[in-house]
Amino acid sequence: MERQIINKRKRVFSLQPNKNPNALFARRYVSHLVPALKKINMNKSSLKTNHQSFEKTVKHEVDMAFALSAQEFAWSRFLQQKLLSSPHDDLISTSSSPSEILERSSKKQVGEKYQDRDEEEGGEIKKRLKELQKLLPGGEEMNMEEILSEIGSYIVCLELQMIVLKSIVQDNTS
Amino acid sequence: MLEGLVSQESLSLNSMDMSVLERLKWVQQQQQQLQQVVSQSINNSPELLQILQFHGSNNDEFLQSSFSQFQMLGSGFGPNYNMGFGPPLEALDECISRTSSCHMEPVDTMEVLLKTGEENRAIALKNKRKPEVKKREEEKTEKKIKVEAETESSMKGKSNMRNTEASSDTSKETSKGASEIQKLDYIHVRARRGQATDRHSLAERARREKISKKMKYLQDIVPGCNKVTGKAGMLDEIINYVQCLQRQVEFLSMKLAVLNPELELAVEDISVKQFQAYFTNVTASKQSIMVDVPLFPLDQQGSLDLSAINPNQPTSIEAPSASWETQSQSLYNTSSLGFHY
Repeated sequence: MERQIINKRKRVFSLQPNKNPNALFARRYVSHLVPALKKINMNKSSLKTNHQSFEKTVKHEVDMAFALSAQEFAWSRFLQQKLLSSPHDDLISTSSSPSEILERSSKKQVGEKYQDRDEEEGGEIKKRLKELQKLLPGGEEMNMEEILSEIGSYIVCLELQMIVLKSIVQDNTS
Repeated sequence: MLEGLVSQESLSLNSMDMSVLERLKWVQQQQQQLQQVVSQSINNSPELLQILQFHGSNNDEFLQSSFSQFQMLGSGFGPNYNMGFGPPLEALDECISRTSSCHMEPVDTMEVLLKTGEENRAIALKNKRKPEVKKREEEKTEKKIKVEAETESSMKGKSNMRNTEASSDTSKETSKGASEIQKLDYIHVRARRGQATDRHSLAERARREKISKKMKYLQDIVPGCNKVTGKAGMLDEIINYVQCLQRQVEFLSMKLAVLNPELELAVEDISVKQFQAYFTNVTASKQSIMVDVPLFPLDQQGSLDLSAINPNQPTSIEAPSASWETQSQSLYNTSSLGFHY
């Protein structure tokens, strides 16, 4: 019985690593992110940068790895373009610190309560679509159908990215 | 991304080959019957529609029996077919090219049209995007076959209505046969009773159905969407979820930045292996993974409790609330993560 467990332990890897899209994404993501982080690490020791710009650089690399590992989707192309066009140092992250984001979201919810009763459903949906457009990279140039198609893949990729980041972080804290 | 789906499809196709051959013979019989109709009506779509309806109403009894095998096929395709948008159409293409390589040219369009019960819109979309694979010589015969396949599909649609209960748009005479004529890009839609039949409203309806299909797909992905009804509520949930995910990613990247100096990045090999093991269909070796690779131990540091992932006990994700703490304690049902294309 124990031998079976031991034998099972040996074969933990997939025999067909390219078949599963989740694994593919995760592998690509890690292969992009980790070297980038290493490079940042090396550079950091040479320059004296403050903490915030360092964070921005890391965030930039994270987003870059994200965009590069999901090449099949339109939003990834948009994201790539955006990242490449904005320079590293002056990178103003689209989503600010968590506290600000919380404020923004709570404001939105409060504002909506008053408007919900007045506007008809079509208007509500349009409003939400606009919000969605802002969230999705490249959303401004898409119509409703495209947004809906892209959002599905975007959400799944975000989830996968989270799992990857979580496990990287946990590997290094434990 | 498509390989997994295509392999499923090819498996189902393998089991269907024998009946496909039978169908081929049947089709050739039908060709003679419908040849005149085809030659007359190939250019004019409204007439075609009428003729289709005419044939449909007259030949129902006769064709219903012979369509039983089609339904079998249709239902056989059903469970294997994941609803999705862009990629499944390409999977469809691959399946069709596969069958065409087996010298079943007249049959492949049939196979496509057999899925008319639910995948009509997919086929309609496919028409617009279908690559020019077929040769010039075959086009003529193809056109004829496609048109007659259309008649069969519309009639099959009718008989399908009577026999299948599960289809969502079984209302009296609703069916939507998608034309596969490459040069002319028509979508033949049979209007429901009492509804407008002009082009604009039909196109509108097609568009709306596409959108609702996508919304259903999103409902599966975004947790907590099942309880909410209506587009607006669902969009709200989706927005919330996306924001939540983005925030979490930011938080994690910040944490990573904090850790970065001490990062032992030789860990990359281990990480990659972990992911491979984690994401593959590991129903057989789930036990071993749980034992061997402690992927997601509970975070001891307190503030971030994201990791209570336990593949053996799937739990659903709670709807994100406003506070940061409760959001960070969402539980994942990781087996549901996947590209449902």
